[in-house]
Amino acid sequence: MLEPTLKLFKQRLLRAHTSLGIFLSLFMYVCLFFGIFAIFLPFIQVWEKPSRHFEVKNTKEINYSSIIDAVISKPDFPKNNIKVKLPGYKNDPALRISHQFIEEEIFNPSTGIKQENENRQSKLAFFLNQMHYGQFFSIFGRLLFGFVAVGVMFLIVGGLLLLVYIKFQKNGKNQKSTFSKLHRNLFILTCIPLFLITLTGALMNVGFKGAAPLANYISKGEKNNVFALLRPVLMPKEKSVKRENINAEMLSIKVLLNKAKKINPQLNIEELTLINWKDKTAKIEFVGYNPYKPFLNGIYNRPKIILSAVDASLIKNIRVLDRSWSVLLTDSLYFLHLLYGVDIFTKVFVSFLMLLSCFAIAFGVMHYLEKQAKIFDEKIPFYHGLGKFSLALMIGVLPATALLFNLQWLLPFDMNNRIFVQQALFFNVWLATLTWSFYRLSSHQAAKDFLYLAGILFILAPLVHFKSSGFSALDLYEKNMTSILSVDIVLTLLGLILFIISYKLPNTRKESQYFWNKKHQGLSNEP
Amino acid sequence: MISIKKMYYNFITPENSGKKIGYFRTFLAIFGALIVAYLGMMVLLFVSPGSFLDLVVVFVLFYTFVWACSALWIVLAPSKLSALLRVIIPIFIFSLFLSQMS
Repeated sequence: MLEPTLKLFKQRLLRAHTSLGIFLSLFMYVCLFFGIFAIFLPFIQVWEKPSRHFEVKNTKEINYSSIIDAVISKPDFPKNNIKVKLPGYKNDPALRISHQFIEEEIFNPSTGIKQENENRQSKLAFFLNQMHYGQFFSIFGRLLFGFVAVGVMFLIVGGLLLLVYIKFQKNGKNQKSTFSKLHRNLFILTCIPLFLITLTGALMNVGFKGAAPLANYISKGEKNNVFALLRPVLMPKEKSVKRENINAEMLSIKVLLNKAKKINPQLNIEELTLINWKDKTAKIEFVGYNPYKPFLNGIYNRPKIILSAVDASLIKNIRVLDRSWSVLLTDSLYFLHLLYGVDIFTKVFVSFLMLLSCFAIAFGVMHYLEKQAKIFDEKIPFYHGLGKFSLALMIGVLPATALLFNLQWLLPFDMNNRIFVQQALFFNVWLATLTWSFYRLSSHQAAKDFLYLAGILFILAPLVHFKSSGFSALDLYEKNMTSILSVDIVLTLLGLILFIISYKLPNTRKESQYFWNKKHQGLSNEP
Repeated sequence: MISIKKMYYNFITPENSGKKIGYFRTFLAIFGALIVAYLGMMVLLFVSPGSFLDLVVVFVLFYTFVWACSALWIVLAPSKLSALLRVIIPIFIFSLFLSQMS
């Protein structure tokens, strides 16, 4: 490129990156912040419900047949397409039996006692997940977050181009260059997983809806929903077999389960579907996740074994690599985003990367604000609307979320408008942090206040949980409820970390200049 | 009063500074890029060999990314005219191609 054109190109690249980045940063932060909670959704889902607080025994030795048989033998229970979710599916210790037209019934697998399901009274994990992808604000929120995801891809590609074209200072000596360096280095670390996650995020929120014109075009105006067109590829259905109405004795689920495990020992069986039950044509489908082939299965590609329930003969065995390449591609892109059935280490690793991305976004915004602050050059205290707003949104969300966890166990479960109160208080506290950050002249002070409050609330949440659930930490440990106990431990640790951060952070702008550039002390910023 | 000649001259010459993006480019980058990406992916869809529905899956997966990339490409055009051309020429070519296909 010619010299002036190249200069123009660089300037424009930087400008486009900055303006769009500032515009999207806050949405992006909300997505990522609640996304981290959404990664641990299975754990929170168990933690929030009293019905899941029971002793977990070694699930392999339990005979589910008696529980399942007792339910489906009821004369008014449907006989076709009964879904059974085995204990351990998405960390849920309960055995769940459901049907399209019947409310889900859940059981304690070791005792066979039916449990109350508080789906209507307890929606903490559901709410956190809704905040993650914008569903809380229904279609508007989903589309908005989808467009944000498209914008983030623009920023990722633009940011990589910036790294190629502009030589950034490596040894800057002021706060601004420290922020810029952190913003760059953190995003270099996380850009590839973040890209995969935003790509699938955009797919889920605008991709499928936005492909309506294409669906209309290729189906010659018959269909507007591209998913309806793609269903045969992504989620093919087995041919349904007609019921012959000849009663037959079913083999026990345990026998069938053992047979399925012999056919494909790699499979972690999670879900069963009972088809034409108690009929001569009865079939049973075992669906699961194959942890030996990560990135290739788990979402649309779910390996399946179909057995006859009468004589346990194999009808069909669908392995991971049996599906078409497009499904494997879709699953490999989705894998890092949804993390279904994945072990805890991968989850922790991905959430750590996303936490780093949160920090990188925050440093990007701080870099921009620092640039603005330099204009005034310490003549007046720096008081910027965007700064206050980002402060309330990025750090103010912490005490609000901590309160959400506290309210989950503070509010009685039979309260009438429990979920409304819980969510309304969450939003109110979040708004209150905005007021507080405008009220406090020094943003540093306000940030410390929020972190301090969030620390206290996060440490209180497990205590409230122990008190109201009636299970102490020791009980939870002894009765093998590790997934519940781990949430308590993580909340306490999080509270302590926030406490320490709030203590360590600088109090004033002068101190903060020292704080972020300890390495270069004495070289610059003479008082 | 700004003469039409002057406006045209402003339109075709690269700006002195790239520190402002402007509404014109923003508009083209959002909506123009969407159409370019959509039509471009459709052409790819009809040209590529292989099972059609599998290719539709690829289209749905990647068109948002192509949208973002083409938005970047359009925003970075040196002059306003070239930004406009980066929208119009691909749209023209792709639609000509699609009209020949069906």
